[in-house]
Amino acid sequence: MDFRPSAPQQLLVSTARQFLGARCPIELVQRLALDERGFDETLWRGMAELGWQGLLVPAELGGSGGSLLDVVLLVEEMGRACVPGPFIPSAVAATSALAAADPSLQKRTLPAMADGARIVTLALVEEGVSFDPDAVTLTSDVPGHLTGRKLFVEDAHLADDLLVAVRSADDLTLVLVPTDRAGVTRVPLDTAGTGRLFEVIFDGVAVGVDDVVGAPGHGRAPLVRALRAGALTRAAEIVGAAQRVLELTVEHAKTRVQGGRPIGGHQAIQHACADLVRDVDASRGLLYSAAWKAAEGEAAEGDIAMAKAYAGEAGLQVARRGHQILGAIGYCEEHPMHLFHKRILAASLDFGDADLHLETVAQAIGLAPLALSAKPVASPFHASGSRRGDP
Amino acid sequence: MDFARTAEEEVFASDVRRFLAAHPPESFALDGMDAGYGSGAHSREFLAALAAQGWLSMCWPKAYGGQERPMFLKLVLMEELALAGAPFGPLAGGWQTADAIIEYGTDRLRREILPKIASGEATFWQGYSEPDAGSDLLALKTTARRDGDHWVIRGHKIWSSHAGISSYGLVFTRTSQEARRSRGFSMFVVANGTPGMDVRPIRSLTGGVYHYEVFLDDVRVPADLMLGPEGEGFVALLNGLDSDRFWGRFYKAPALERVLRQLVDHANTTAADGRRPADNPVVRRRLAHMATQIAALRLMFYRAACLIRDGGSITYETAVAKVMADETGQRLAQLGVDVLGLWGSLRERSPWARLGGRMPDTYLTSLGHTIAGGTAEILRTTVAVRGLGLPSVRG
Repeated sequence: MDFRPSAPQQLLVSTARQFLGARCPIELVQRLALDERGFDETLWRGMAELGWQGLLVPAELGGSGGSLLDVVLLVEEMGRACVPGPFIPSAVAATSALAAADPSLQKRTLPAMADGARIVTLALVEEGVSFDPDAVTLTSDVPGHLTGRKLFVEDAHLADDLLVAVRSADDLTLVLVPTDRAGVTRVPLDTAGTGRLFEVIFDGVAVGVDDVVGAPGHGRAPLVRALRAGALTRAAEIVGAAQRVLELTVEHAKTRVQGGRPIGGHQAIQHACADLVRDVDASRGLLYSAAWKAAEGEAAEGDIAMAKAYAGEAGLQVARRGHQILGAIGYCEEHPMHLFHKRILAASLDFGDADLHLETVAQAIGLAPLALSAKPVASPFHASGSRRGDP
Repeated sequence: MDFARTAEEEVFASDVRRFLAAHPPESFALDGMDAGYGSGAHSREFLAALAAQGWLSMCWPKAYGGQERPMFLKLVLMEELALAGAPFGPLAGGWQTADAIIEYGTDRLRREILPKIASGEATFWQGYSEPDAGSDLLALKTTARRDGDHWVIRGHKIWSSHAGISSYGLVFTRTSQEARRSRGFSMFVVANGTPGMDVRPIRSLTGGVYHYEVFLDDVRVPADLMLGPEGEGFVALLNGLDSDRFWGRFYKAPALERVLRQLVDHANTTAADGRRPADNPVVRRRLAHMATQIAALRLMFYRAACLIRDGGSITYETAVAKVMADETGQRLAQLGVDVLGLWGSLRERSPWARLGGRMPDTYLTSLGHTIAGGTAEILRTTVAVRGLGLPSVRG
């Protein structure tokens, strides 16, 4: 057992911290949070120059062929800096799915995605608000015409293409649809998070065989790859953001003087801070262990589910307690605390919330599959259970 | 990074599992109760069987009869024993004492005590707490005064686990009055049965006896049974407490894992209110949530273990892991009672007892865990002050 990143991973992390410290200061994040587009081209290009968008792209297609563990360590730093932009949707999720596409589609997309010129985002979720592939109802013949809608599509305004999950040929098919294709409309959703979410409406959008990732009816495997990579990196983003909340909070507890001494000298504050340490450290342990397993090619489904479920709940706990310790100043828009809190909130919901992932864990620990025919329990204490004449 | 066992660890784990198959844990006589920490009951017979495999001293220097095997094999041994529910109660105490003796013990301690630890003959109780010195350990009043080749100990220790069935006490005393409150303490290894020592059981809320109080009425101890330098006992004690938090709780995650597996099995195979608990979404979610917390807990201890192995400094890592271990254990006990429902109140000897009738004791003993070995409050303060650098309340 060894928790230490390799020398190249340490270099990746220290480079990221240095670069983001200089190029993504909190003032930029604050400005972009209020900006309609919420995107900084210069920062995105700078990240691409460092090869970040190409981390999961094979070397022969212009990337560096890194592992999920590498990208998790990088995204943890991005979470710590609250980096805005479509990195996880495009450079992690869509890239993971497209890496399973046929070679010609890979060649058409991945080199441009690796150098930051092309942005692709996943269009999966519908009104059922589920990340479960089985919940997809949007149906289309391929080739054919696509009509219907997807919801909660991240950064659709920046995307060159949408990776759309549709039901066809008896199972799921992933199709790559350019956002400027006739019949595609993007409607922004007004969210409390710091990311940008869209409803995407498809009105008779032409879909050809060249748009298919893999083959019609074979979209499940690349989609699951995208979902696992997305869940893992959202967990990493939460761990990084929660780490920063811990740092902001401890700094405040040391310097904020009330009643003649720093508030961090009070046990009520000390013990709350100790819990933040526990939540961050425990989340990070599950994250690294799951990412390592996934990078080693071992079955990591249950581990990723644990990491995402734990980080989501623990991260929000850290954010809420952080707010409590910061007191009134943390409630202001000009203080950065709310940005980290909103980022954690959005990440905890993205790529599956705790409920979805805990069901995966339930099966991984050997609980029998849920019998859907199980009768609801009738309680004699409930009105409908009482017999006539009973009080 | 690497989250797998090494090849050597895998081989050793299968050795341990083979040993357990050949020596079923339930076949060993028990001498003292299981306090629910995860190390099972106190069984000298089982300790001797581990000794016969050479496992008690396997990580010691060869000069002291060890095999200099990697420290992580001790973790593998504890994990496998805890998963099997084996009664290895006194194991951690022996290892901690041996480590201290190897590090700063006298020749006599090394010569006399180490072989007895290796053979499983020697077990230890900790004489730290006193009636008026609990969380404020430095308020202790037990003294030792020099008298020729001996020290004479006088005082009253309490909450000493298994003191009545152990071989030696590790008795923490004040040996001089110093200006600095943390100086002037010394530790002694005192054989049970030494004249002047009176060991009395304290019956706990479980109905069993785990703790004892020990009256020391001019107990004479040879000077070369002092453990560590005279007057510097507090530093040794702090190191010992870090070590205690680690070795006294490392096996909790696998022990909780064992209970969780039993609950999963119960949920899959029995009926409650006309359906399997596994078909109750609330039960599913709670069991999965608990599994996640246990997995996180295991990694917290392994991270501390890596720091210890690699010579990194421990500031808060064992303290935060201990708090998490004990609070997770309490939540698991609550979950166990909830999942079992009325069955959860039946004890071992009762007809109809489920899961061996262990759940009531699991629940009750877990209450003591957030108090023993440093309360959750004291340890959170340790995390905040030593780990985060927040100002000490004492100023």
